[in-house]
Amino acid sequence: MVHSRFSTIDTSPLPLSDVNAVLKSEYYEVFGQETCPRDSWSVDSHVSVDDIENFKIGKSILKGHSCWGIYLSNNVAIDVQGLTKRYGELVAVNGISFTVNRGEIFAFLGPNGAGKTTTVEILECLRKPTGGKAFVLGFDIGKNPREIKKRIGVLPQDFYTYERLTVRETVQYYAGMFNAHPDVDELIRLVDLEDKKNVLFRNLSGGLKQRLGIAVALVNDPELIFLDEPSAGLDPKARHGVWHLIDGLHKKGKTVFLTTHYMEEAEVLADRVGIIHYGKIVALDSPQSLISENGKRNLLILKKTSPQAVPNIEKLGLKANYDVTTGDVTVHLNHTVGVSEVLHSLSSTGVPFGELQLKRSSLEDVFLNLTGVSLGEEEDNV
Amino acid sequence: MSHVVIDLKASLKSFWRDKSTIFWTLAFPTVLILLFGAIFSQSSIKYDLYIQNQDVIDGKITYWSGNLIDILNLTNAFNIQTVDASINGTEYALTNRLSSLLIIPYGFNDSANMALITHGSTTANVTFVYDQSTSSAPIVQSVVTGVVNATNFQLSKGVEYLNVEGLTIAPKRFGFIDFFIPGVIGMTAMTTSIFTAVSISARYKQNGIFHKLATTPLKRYEWILSRTIYNVLISYLGMAVMMLMGILIFGMKMTLDAISLLMVAMASLMFTGIGMIIARFVKDPDGADAAANVITFPMMFLSGTFFQISQMPQFLQTIAQVLPLTYVSEGLRAAMIFGQTQQALQNTALITVLGIASIIVGSLITKWEDD
Repeated sequence: MVHSRFSTIDTSPLPLSDVNAVLKSEYYEVFGQETCPRDSWSVDSHVSVDDIENFKIGKSILKGHSCWGIYLSNNVAIDVQGLTKRYGELVAVNGISFTVNRGEIFAFLGPNGAGKTTTVEILECLRKPTGGKAFVLGFDIGKNPREIKKRIGVLPQDFYTYERLTVRETVQYYAGMFNAHPDVDELIRLVDLEDKKNVLFRNLSGGLKQRLGIAVALVNDPELIFLDEPSAGLDPKARHGVWHLIDGLHKKGKTVFLTTHYMEEAEVLADRVGIIHYGKIVALDSPQSLISENGKRNLLILKKTSPQAVPNIEKLGLKANYDVTTGDVTVHLNHTVGVSEVLHSLSSTGVPFGELQLKRSSLEDVFLNLTGVSLGEEEDNV
Repeated sequence: MSHVVIDLKASLKSFWRDKSTIFWTLAFPTVLILLFGAIFSQSSIKYDLYIQNQDVIDGKITYWSGNLIDILNLTNAFNIQTVDASINGTEYALTNRLSSLLIIPYGFNDSANMALITHGSTTANVTFVYDQSTSSAPIVQSVVTGVVNATNFQLSKGVEYLNVEGLTIAPKRFGFIDFFIPGVIGMTAMTTSIFTAVSISARYKQNGIFHKLATTPLKRYEWILSRTIYNVLISYLGMAVMMLMGILIFGMKMTLDAISLLMVAMASLMFTGIGMIIARFVKDPDGADAAANVITFPMMFLSGTFFQISQMPQFLQTIAQVLPLTYVSEGLRAAMIFGQTQQALQNTALITVLGIASIIVGSLITKWEDD
């Protein structure tokens, strides 16, 4: 559990005489000189850091107890409650709710136009929601965007910056914007751009620009990093390079909020995946859980096999199809009958079979199953 | 404030590395100064020529004075305007900032007759009062002198009976180029500021730089302040190059005063604001550039940058009166050429008010992100 110390209160202990605000016990714990028993907490609504700041002007949190310091032992990095964004008649984000835990990679998956970018831009305090609430690192996005901006790192979709600044100058520029003093060379080394540090931004390839964008997103040593389509438009090699970087951030304990329309990206990187479609979250879980719950069965393909294999396999209670053009038999496996049973059955009846191929169900299948459309079906960006 | 300094440094570094911007900001106006002067001197437009004929006896124009005016009229080069014979012509020219006034003195007819009788041992003189700092004055003077010499040739095959004496009403050190360079300085401040503001506002929005900046603690006003200071510095750089060229190539003697510097800064402020307003309404970068062209081109030609507003048709003169660049050019000229402090201050005050107003409006309507 990550503890964020709230120093303002720590330095000015006050008697807690009036209860005007409450803590939501699931999210916050209070530590202090006196024990603050949980049963004294009034739990009925979410309290953000902004509310705790009110403490300074006379409001207090716990009735009858004084605390030397309040530490937010908040395991939630992002808390979204009924978030809605409308553009006239168009509902881009339709009352979505979810949480992102600290230290996890959360992938927001959906086709272009599903509402991913709108959601992420609301959380980055770039757009105002039409309805609902959202808290980022404990701060209310509507009340304290500046505090949020100081603490987050953002890689926008298609990162672009001043064309005639070098890699090193770009990192320095953004560090200056945060009044931060990172080890610039270390950041450049982290994204593997050491040999490009004196190259102008305009002369970098797409993949290198994204890498620089990631370095820029880290200049303020953010607690939470938003990566909006970090590998979109990159070739496979560059994409894997970016994935490696994101994985490195995860290992450093950073929280990563990733939006992507690449299934593989979400599957490889994410601890949890939220699937958004037409502004609504249609599924939210770990990639493996989503696949096991919503994916198709795994497929076994028997290359260049006799059609006699089909009735044999069907006797096992499995569905099988013979492709006359390729001579392949496709077997739809289930939880009770596996590959070994199928192969044993064929061997015992003398049905010949050649090469075997096992196709695992993927998030692509999950998405298709849940939305009825493929992620490749592009829509306008919202 | 540190954000402003950081952004300003980045902008200046980018400017220095952008050769095409350097060309359009500095080299282009320089080339323009050299080329336009040459083209302009070959122009066939009509010039205003004021004539004060004092040689009138009993309400009748004398033969020689009338003859001279007729010949000048026949050249078809002039719009001849008559100045009342009873007033002091030179003072009138000064007060009304006339570029050319021909004074035919009382007794000119008699002097011409005497010159004919004495075969040129005496001459009949007319006085050409002119403002050397105007572009038209040298041309008008050469035509008037040509007419007089042609008359001499017809009368006597070259013996000088009639003579033109020049009298300049502007200090001698100023010439056409002195008139021209302040105009180009104003024009450069305009084009640099408008195009930079338009280009940055529209392009940064399109390519996502605004989006990225919006995710940092950099405040919008800090960014606008940095870019405005940048535009002022680039305008000053343009001013320095133009002046240096004037001094080194044309031998000008220029003084740089606080009013001129303030005027250029305020003009930059005003045109930056105008550029931001354009970019707000025309969001497509190419469209925004085109819109900037639509605004800057007419101003460039109608605001007295290249030639005097008084030479333009009346309806264009009316338009010129509502164009802000007119007040910039005239203000700079008043400060740098005529030494007319009061007019320079008036124009600078006007541009300061317009500058502050337009930068406030521009800042308020410029958004990094749409909600």
